[in-house]
Amino acid sequence: MKLNLTEDKNIREEHVDIYYAKMRPVIKQLIDTVNSERPTLSGRPADEDMDDGEAVMIDPKEVYYLDHIDRKLFAYTRTGCYRLMTTLSACEEQLWNYGFVRVSKSNLVNIYKIRQLKPDLNMKVYASFDNGERICINRSYKKTFNEYLQRMRRISQ
Amino acid sequence: MRDIKEILIELCCSYTIISVGGSIYNLIFGGQTNNVNVIVMFVFCTIAVFVLSLHKLLTRFSPLFMIIVQYLAAIGLCTLIVFILSRIAYISKRGWIEYLVSFTIPYIIGAALYYYRVFADTKKQDAIIKEIQQAEISE
Repeated sequence: MKLNLTEDKNIREEHVDIYYAKMRPVIKQLIDTVNSERPTLSGRPADEDMDDGEAVMIDPKEVYYLDHIDRKLFAYTRTGCYRLMTTLSACEEQLWNYGFVRVSKSNLVNIYKIRQLKPDLNMKVYASFDNGERICINRSYKKTFNEYLQRMRRISQ
Repeated sequence: MRDIKEILIELCCSYTIISVGGSIYNLIFGGQTNNVNVIVMFVFCTIAVFVLSLHKLLTRFSPLFMIIVQYLAAIGLCTLIVFILSRIAYISKRGWIEYLVSFTIPYIIGAALYYYRVFADTKKQDAIIKEIQQAEISE
């Protein structure tokens, strides 16, 4: 995507013009950024030794997957694991346009971070990530997952 | 209600396929059937469709486990029916073997097709993910 930046000291109102051929996720993300609606996740390190009591802002792009365990929600990134103070369904709604899709009752995965999708010999399908972890794609979410992939493919073309 | 409707449609389709298939087989190889066989075939179809429709209850288990459990449940119920029938009419040893084979072979074929579909679908989904990721990088 071509980027034009113009500095004008006399301008009264700063503005952004977006020229697009099709409303793709990246365009939607730019709009959200301009509108200050770009989602960020607020969390604290799951590791208590690293938790200084301050909330950390997490870019959803850095998140591999979200895991809901024992009524707690965790986000896994390359750098570590963070506990989020929100719900999985709220994240699902918020991150729908950012590549996040529900694959089981307790997991939301970022399709941009999936290294490989592979079935086991027992026919369970797993999504593997760069950090070596893998998440099972539940059969009952297979249809939704497939529809989501088709939708993302359509709008990314 | 929707589930019952789906089960009935699946039952109608599977029974039609099996009875037409059986008729074609009889025409080609000169076999014959009788009223009891037709009813037993329908009962078997009902049991198989009902047991297979319970797959939603087994989503937390692996598909392989689900296939084996469903096979054991279906063959158990069908064997019970045949056992009850054997109290009324005589079933030879060969009849029992043929019954087991004629139930197991289509089930194995169905399971193999399902197995293939899981692998093929996953491969396709993996390719779509790579395509989406590639599009994101090139942007």
